[in-house]
Amino acid sequence: MTGRINKALGLLIGAYLLVFVQSHWSVPRLWLGFQPDLTPALLVCVGLSLGIGQVSTSAMLTGLWLDSLSANPLGLSVPPLFIVGWMMFTFRELIVQDDLVAQFYLGSAAGAAVPLLQLWLLWMVGADPLIGWSMGIWWLVNAACCGVAVPLFAKLGRLLNRWFSHPLHEPNRWPNENRQIVRSKH
Amino acid sequence: MKRFFYKSQQTAVGAVLLTVFLLLVMPEGARARLKSAIGGLFLPVVGISTTGQAAIESLGQLGSTAGYGSPTSNQTLGQDGGHPFSLSDLQLENAKLAEENRQLIEARNWEPRIPWETKLARVVGRDTFNWWRRIKINLGSNKGVRFNQPVISLRGQLVGRITEVGPLTSWALLVGDPNCKFSALIKDKDSRSQGGIVSPRQYNPDPRVVELTYLPNDVEVRPGQEVVTSGLGGGFPKEIPVGKVVDSWVSKDGLYVEARIKLYANLNQLETVRVLTHF
Repeated sequence: MTGRINKALGLLIGAYLLVFVQSHWSVPRLWLGFQPDLTPALLVCVGLSLGIGQVSTSAMLTGLWLDSLSANPLGLSVPPLFIVGWMMFTFRELIVQDDLVAQFYLGSAAGAAVPLLQLWLLWMVGADPLIGWSMGIWWLVNAACCGVAVPLFAKLGRLLNRWFSHPLHEPNRWPNENRQIVRSKH
Repeated sequence: MKRFFYKSQQTAVGAVLLTVFLLLVMPEGARARLKSAIGGLFLPVVGISTTGQAAIESLGQLGSTAGYGSPTSNQTLGQDGGHPFSLSDLQLENAKLAEENRQLIEARNWEPRIPWETKLARVVGRDTFNWWRRIKINLGSNKGVRFNQPVISLRGQLVGRITEVGPLTSWALLVGDPNCKFSALIKDKDSRSQGGIVSPRQYNPDPRVVELTYLPNDVEVRPGQEVVTSGLGGGFPKEIPVGKVVDSWVSKDGLYVEARIKLYANLNQLETVRVLTHF
């Protein structure tokens, strides 16, 4: 139970910091000319490694945080992020999760799909975002950034899990040093 | 177990759909307040980040001042075989201080040339999405910032206008955002000034380039002509410098002329801006 709470807490802190960095750290904007959005990569990792509860919680909170720091209508980013996380969760048995190439493709696909879904929803609610053909370049670069981010997030998650989780208590594990029966001649 | 799995999936999907539905049916005012409250969750981290940055800068300055002010200890350290402040370190420090000094002098020099009452504000964030152009500044209603007040650069060039005001921070819409439309004039020494509307229509990778439309058909638009705000519509006061004409063309239907304007203010590198409090 504690492990699950730790994971959920770590995930939410990570999502919070990611959204903060995306909004307040403008170095990528100066270098690339746009701000990459890595939240789809985070949802891919959550969908691949955690439960559906964490997927929905992280999609809702990340989406709400993102929208609160933008001119998007509040809650607009939640469905695209949830769809990505939910699809990863549903089909994760069919995906080679630990393969770097698979992770890159999944991250790229999510990084490409989420902005398109967000734009489509913006049109549905009658908003007037700034779009143009030259956005295609940042759309591709953003997808590639998400592709690179998935293996990094997965590695970071495993590292944090190793640092902050207790090893599982398995009474029937063998060899078990505490319960090993030492036979002697007596 | 299998039933629980499907049930938990349904619950998760239901929770997300319910949240989105509730947000959609919520009254506009309540949604704006909720948005502001959720955005306010980032204020502690913004505070920590700003304080940390300031502390690091002051520590650096303290180190360098101590170095300049204590030749004896420098000599002692030098005798130990180390060179605590190499020439390149000092040059770097000097360049940094010179740049800071230049910015402060620039801000002070431009102050009397700006005919309006202004308040200096620091840019603390930007819109997370690339299809909106907004900045977050560290002044809110507690410092007298109000809705629709114009925002200009240190040199007095047009940057945008305030669209959301919180108690401690505010959001400013930048020129180039599709929701930031205003009336502007092309200044011409030889003939009368011609007016049009700055209304960005599509994404441009260079945030400094915007479109000026609805210029009269008979007007001659030349590259390099200066564009200023017209003061019409009440959004911005008259004569705020906007940018210079890059090129122009007749619209597809032939009814009016359109032009591309290069903004004076570099919107990607804004660190400090001025909010016009009285104009």
